[in-house]
Amino acid sequence: MSGPFDALRTQLLGAAEALAGGPAALPDILSGIVDDVDHALREPLEIFPVCHHSPASAVAMVRRLRELQPKVIYLELCEDLAPLLTELRNCRLPVALQAFASELSGFPVESAPLSVIAPITEASAEYQAISYALETPGVELVLVDRSTDHVFQWQPEVPSSEGTASEEDDLHGDAVGVEIGDLRPRFAELEEHLLHHGRVRHWSEWWDQYVEQPLAGADYDTYRQVMVLIGSLFRRLAPHDSRRFASDEDRERYMWTRIREHLATSGAAPGDCLYVCGAFHAASRLPEVGSAPGTPDFAITPRTGTTWLYGLIPSSQSAIEAQFGLAPGSVSIAGATWQKSLTRTGLKPFQLDGQKGGKKRAAVKLPAPVAATAVEDHLTGYLSGPPALDGLDEEELRGWCVDIVRLARRNGYLASTADAIAVFETSILLAGMRGRARPTPYDFQDAAVTCIEKDAVPGRRDVRRLCEILLGGDRIGQVGYAALPPLARDVYDRLAPLGLNLEQRSIQRALLDLAANPELAACSQLLWMLRYLLPDHAVRPIMGSRKLGEKHIQESWDLDLGRHQRTIIELGYEGVTVEQVLEQRLRRAAWDPKATAATALTAVEDSLLFLHSPRLTDELGARAVELLAAERTVDGAPEVLRRIRRLLAHYRSSAPTLPAWCESFVKTGYAHYCTLLPSAFVADDTGVRQVGAMLGFLFSMESLALSLGCDRAQLEIAVRQSHPESPAKIALLWAARHQLGVLPLADLRATVDDLLGNPLIVPAFPQYVVGFIQSLESVPRLSPFVVETLSKAFARLPDPVLLPWLPSLITTLKDQAAELVPVLTREAGRTFPGTLAGVDAWVAPWNAPPRKARAAAVATAPGAGPAGALLAAHPVTADAVAGLLGCEGEWAAPAAVPEGAAAVALLTAHPETAGAVALLIGA
Amino acid sequence: MTDMLRAPAEVKYAEELDWLESVDTGPKPFSWRLSPKMVRLFILGSERADGLEREIPQKWFGDRSFVERAIVTLASDRGLLLIGDPGTGKSWLAELLSAAISRNSTLVVQGTAGTTEDHIKYSWNVSMVIAKGQSRQSMIPSPIMTAMENGVIGRFEELTRSTSDVQDALISILSEKYVSIPELEDDNIVFAKPGFSIIATANSRDRGVNDLSSALKRRFNFVRIPVVTNKKSEAEIVRFRTEELLRRHNIELEVPPTLLDVLLQSFADLRAASASATSDDERLESALSTAEQIGVLEDAILHSTFFGAAALSSQTLASSLVGSLARRSPEDLAILNKYWHGVIEPRSKDAGGEWNGFLEGGRQAIATLS
Repeated sequence: MSGPFDALRTQLLGAAEALAGGPAALPDILSGIVDDVDHALREPLEIFPVCHHSPASAVAMVRRLRELQPKVIYLELCEDLAPLLTELRNCRLPVALQAFASELSGFPVESAPLSVIAPITEASAEYQAISYALETPGVELVLVDRSTDHVFQWQPEVPSSEGTASEEDDLHGDAVGVEIGDLRPRFAELEEHLLHHGRVRHWSEWWDQYVEQPLAGADYDTYRQVMVLIGSLFRRLAPHDSRRFASDEDRERYMWTRIREHLATSGAAPGDCLYVCGAFHAASRLPEVGSAPGTPDFAITPRTGTTWLYGLIPSSQSAIEAQFGLAPGSVSIAGATWQKSLTRTGLKPFQLDGQKGGKKRAAVKLPAPVAATAVEDHLTGYLSGPPALDGLDEEELRGWCVDIVRLARRNGYLASTADAIAVFETSILLAGMRGRARPTPYDFQDAAVTCIEKDAVPGRRDVRRLCEILLGGDRIGQVGYAALPPLARDVYDRLAPLGLNLEQRSIQRALLDLAANPELAACSQLLWMLRYLLPDHAVRPIMGSRKLGEKHIQESWDLDLGRHQRTIIELGYEGVTVEQVLEQRLRRAAWDPKATAATALTAVEDSLLFLHSPRLTDELGARAVELLAAERTVDGAPEVLRRIRRLLAHYRSSAPTLPAWCESFVKTGYAHYCTLLPSAFVADDTGVRQVGAMLGFLFSMESLALSLGCDRAQLEIAVRQSHPESPAKIALLWAARHQLGVLPLADLRATVDDLLGNPLIVPAFPQYVVGFIQSLESVPRLSPFVVETLSKAFARLPDPVLLPWLPSLITTLKDQAAELVPVLTREAGRTFPGTLAGVDAWVAPWNAPPRKARAAAVATAPGAGPAGALLAAHPVTADAVAGLLGCEGEWAAPAAVPEGAAAVALLTAHPETAGAVALLIGA
Repeated sequence: MTDMLRAPAEVKYAEELDWLESVDTGPKPFSWRLSPKMVRLFILGSERADGLEREIPQKWFGDRSFVERAIVTLASDRGLLLIGDPGTGKSWLAELLSAAISRNSTLVVQGTAGTTEDHIKYSWNVSMVIAKGQSRQSMIPSPIMTAMENGVIGRFEELTRSTSDVQDALISILSEKYVSIPELEDDNIVFAKPGFSIIATANSRDRGVNDLSSALKRRFNFVRIPVVTNKKSEAEIVRFRTEELLRRHNIELEVPPTLLDVLLQSFADLRAASASATSDDERLESALSTAEQIGVLEDAILHSTFFGAAALSSQTLASSLVGSLARRSPEDLAILNKYWHGVIEPRSKDAGGEWNGFLEGGRQAIATLS
């Protein structure tokens, strides 16, 4: 085989021989890479090797597209992303194409949501190819790489999010990144070796110095040969037994299979086509690679049943660097280099019509295509000499130096013109020491750090970061309105009445005066829904809240939608409107396998707050009833009680009747908690708070439940069946029995006094008090007694018992402050004197001598008084009731108390009131 | 072999420097003896790609860009301030730089609380002043002034230990590049010759003791030398420095690589423990720097040479480590005891090898000290 590269091959083999001590594979590798280049160039379908974020690739692409003007472009990009490409024109680059799936089929469910992103920057070869293809009539763009579904099929383990990226770098979320032309040594030793001998610090710098700059001004043939050469080198030195390598080979088979399919169906001539792929893939020698008909095809596996949704999300240069492990600033520097080489070469790049951001360029008419020339060896020249670098651009360097000092001053550094001079001098010295005539941005960065950075960083950014900002800044992309999903567009439309620029990347303060502008209520409603759906920083209420029964006349919000565009776009994958997404979320919460009655009630409350959809609320309520009836534990009882109380209060105040589910919930709850009460009293794993809440439910809903047909006997029996053993629950049971009327207060007091008097029980006494405190909610009329017991405990418990208990008492009260503290303080306020003077004369009510039973006479004569007189006068009703109850009518003789005697006695004793009334009415 | 206990770098590497000077064709700034590239090569060692006939060993281990930044700073108008934790090799780098650039690394001022302006500028030989009056002959120039007169590098060790007013004496030296001697009527200005510069070192743990004034700060370029945390380069440093020390003592002793691993691992463990400790009492007083590791190893080597079986054992290493790190009793001893029983003991059970002897030796040493 003779070819243009024979001489080079011989020379390299000679070199391999000279290095006889080297590895045995060396001759193979050296001649192999030349063979690879030769092979790639022989392919009739022109292969265009690219590297990601390489301005040289982009420049070469512009040139080649002008010369060749291909009719079909095959691009290494997931094939299912194709429909998105035309939307790029509505965006400000960089943005990322995203495929998103939350409902998985064929993948492990716990890996949801799956997300793949492919960022596109302006300074990239792929953007040039896309723009050319979409803007030139008659040109077809075919994406040939495996679909996003295959990305996950071929990648068994789904990476978990690490969450280390800063907010600025986190634009992509947890997505898996794919990009065109990933070109980097595949094992660490090779990279380390290259960096060491190249005397550079990181990979981007090596690439810039040894590939990017020499190729910046090179002709297309040199560019192509060198890129394939490097691709081949890294390919041959990559570990071949890795899963990644296997997946790369499969991708190559996939892409060529797709290309051959397209060639066969469209009938395009390979000479009219251009295949844009990473240099790594360009050097492939697999049998399935090649456009010749008859090349073996790759069996493409079907996609899973997962539904993928597609969209664009904003990206940024620093997010790309973070996602793909590039050196900070490298993408920004590549962007700046691209702009510079455009100015220098006078090339007109391709641009999508209506592209936002960047310079507006008039569409250029393409010159006639240039005929292909024979392949010549351009590699020898590249390999034999040191990289030919540009000379010193003094003007540019001076500009950088002045700007960095200015920037440093603004960030708190004490930098001056003297520093600018020093940075200039040091940059040149450093570049000279590193063997470059012209300081690279990295030399400049080092020089600036040396001269300006002192022992501490005064502000938020250090000099290194400032250099990155200076040399390119971080461009942050934005997805234009037209390219947004319907939900996001709807959000922007509905927030338009606020009159804010929501696309701006800063926090916007929205002031909603709902009293003066009632039309803003809809905005407020939407903001609350967004707040519910996006709990982080996209929208934040500063003033205002949304609770049942509250209505605000003013609200103020911090809106940061510009920086959280991605979250809104991803919300758009879940539904068409915010309401729909919210409804889905609420349903999902209520029908979750782990859902409890409390979560369902939360969903009910949220639906009332945000959606005003009685149908949904009823469904959720019915679900809550279902869940409650099926629950076997009472862990959620406090939450259930709190929520159902709030909901009942809401319905009572806003609707004439309770909804059916509410009634059903109360009925079910009454029966349910009655059933569980005896076991809850005994079970060790059920806390006293839970039992307290159960009793709270039973007692406070009792009237409603009884009116709905429940039977009180059930509760009485349940209480009678309860035999708790722990002191706190015993105290709760006493409270319950008191509420049911079977344990009079006097007996209870005597029992408690006995406990306090028994030295064997004193250490456990605080536990009893805890039980009484928990009963405050269920048996409110016991609150004077609870205050009394607490006071006695403080008075009589010895310090070794009292003091260790205090912290737990305080934390209990703090946890349940909303329910317990108001009752307790109100009662304490009634019991204890309010003034200092009152304290001296104060005697605790329970220590006071019992007052004379004044109304004893009244109590002994039930029939006395006006009511008795009335009933005696009209006995028919009472007799009918007695008949219904199965009693015989027995009428006691009315007591001989004169009608109104008590009132007369009172008025005679205190005539002032009556006198004053008489005066008022002028009698 | 010189009869100096510790020869300065320019004496120790004199032959290497001579040879480098003879092959150096690069442009040299001012009166430098070597071109910047050669200085770098002298410090960081040569590689095959450099195409030199003989191999130049690496003398300072650390990031290449630090050395490059330090060299270009000296070629520029500003002084160089090396800042970093104790034991990170600042002074050694400063010595190598001045030896390579001006073949004189001995013009050193040591910054202490007692350093006065005289130490930086000049003082007088009192008896000669009485005898002959004030003249250039009766003046005693400071090392810095000597460096100015000769156009070489002057060094200022521990700059932040000296008081602020003394530090500020450097401001005029660094900007005007002359020192005036008002006591003399004529010939009363000493101008710095080209090639003069200052390398100062500062300990970042001393921050806040005597902070540099901003006027002085802007006359220095700061190069921060980080603590070596990369195990590979740390092993390299320890091996290099120990070999040098052994050569100085004329000791022929092999340090087994497994023992070096044990030493590095135990230091790494103790560093991690120090970093996670919440109070000073739970933290060893030692900074656990690379220099300290070298000290431990040297101590163990000397001990086994003179009192042991002329071979380094893990027991000796352990007792040397305990001896060097246990400074406060009982705090440091308690920490070491905890470390020995909590980390070394299980490791000795799992891994065995040198760890068994290390465990035994450490236990004995702790028991003896307690």
